[in-house]
Amino acid sequence: MNHRPYALLAELTYRCPLHCPYCSNPTRHPAGAELTTEEWQRAIREASALGVLQAGFSGGEPLLRADLASLVSEARESGMYTNLITSGIGLDKRRAAELRDAGLDSAQISFQADEPTLADNIAGARTHQRKLEAARIVREQGIALSVNVVLHRANLSRLREIIAFAAALGTKHLELANTQYYGWGFLNRAHLTPTRAQVEDARQIASEEKQRHAGRMDIFYVLPDYYEQRPKPCMQGWGRRYLTVNPTGEVLPCPTASSISGMRFDSVREKSLAWIWHESESFNRFRGTAWMPEPCRTCPQHEIDFGGCRCQAALLTGNPAATDPVCALSPDRKSIDAFLASIPGNDSDLPPWQPRENPTAK
Amino acid sequence: MSPMDSRPALAPGVRLQIDKITGEPVLLYPEGIMALNSTAHEIVARCDGAATVEAIATALAAEYEISRDALDGDILECLEDLRNRRLIVFAT
Repeated sequence: MNHRPYALLAELTYRCPLHCPYCSNPTRHPAGAELTTEEWQRAIREASALGVLQAGFSGGEPLLRADLASLVSEARESGMYTNLITSGIGLDKRRAAELRDAGLDSAQISFQADEPTLADNIAGARTHQRKLEAARIVREQGIALSVNVVLHRANLSRLREIIAFAAALGTKHLELANTQYYGWGFLNRAHLTPTRAQVEDARQIASEEKQRHAGRMDIFYVLPDYYEQRPKPCMQGWGRRYLTVNPTGEVLPCPTASSISGMRFDSVREKSLAWIWHESESFNRFRGTAWMPEPCRTCPQHEIDFGGCRCQAALLTGNPAATDPVCALSPDRKSIDAFLASIPGNDSDLPPWQPRENPTAK
Repeated sequence: MSPMDSRPALAPGVRLQIDKITGEPVLLYPEGIMALNSTAHEIVARCDGAATVEAIATALAAEYEISRDALDGDILECLEDLRNRRLIVFAT
């Protein structure tokens, strides 16, 4: 079957003013300089020609790129929908107006919690107040605002307060994403993983609040997959709908794929996006179902969950072609159960987390 | 007020675009993409926040020489579906 990409995630930089312990950015940054403005513009045009309809500008903190507006404008002129995925830091009135004029359709601002002390503690920087200001400016400029809060042990018990906080910000769309364990998040998973009791309470609260806000604010709740019995349909399948270009130009089937050791990803600096999408070894490696081992190969679910997440399989088993260990049918599920059983009951017994660090200057 | 007097518009952050690979109309919004059939496209293209549902129905009936009886129901059903997906809002 001939697939085409629908969405491009442009990770413009891995630099970020925040130090969130759950960050899914790689803990080891790729060598090489960030793509230039011209290289990004070419990649965006090639993505559009391939059929991409949506461009997400992310990072790191994409506002750290002074050329952001010109990239948004390039995407917009190609007919793409443009979405900024930001911490909000650096989004003052002038910048927001510049982005709106470039054609930015929507902005997603991340918050760490509903209350400033906890939020700033998680971010490792005093940023909560500035985010509130950024959210106000986005609305004032007529850019559609969505809000994202990553959930974990330190904030999950405040879920109801977090939802009320987002509603007060005036967003119509709230994404509550339980931490996925990649990059820094994987390094800190012992600290971040909520207890089973927290997860069960949160599930109940999310479902009640969805009902309560229906018609005013959509709540999208990303499940904590270690506590699930079936894996997530990661990226709706490898090389099927999505592509990511990382700050140095590597093209990835998913934002965290560079963590898979032993895999090599082609760069927009050397190859066309069309060649990478259709022909490259990396994009074809886990396309379709032929690569699947048992129990996936004969599983009726395999067109639904695509065998789960390749990065998670690689991180937990060392083999990216293994069944996602989240699946109850995986021979490796016991490693997740053992991990969940090892989480301390008391917060005071938690190890310290390792704050996300920025790439070192080259 | 009758629903025929309301003035539908694309919700903030929602955009109508032609998919250049397929030539088909799609609605784009932060979390996704929705393909439109040709009827939905004709309706959505007229949702500018100024035209009433009544005016949209009148225009479509004239353009395609179809009776209003079935058309009104189809338009309201389409708009209600899009409103439930938060892709359309009604100004009054």
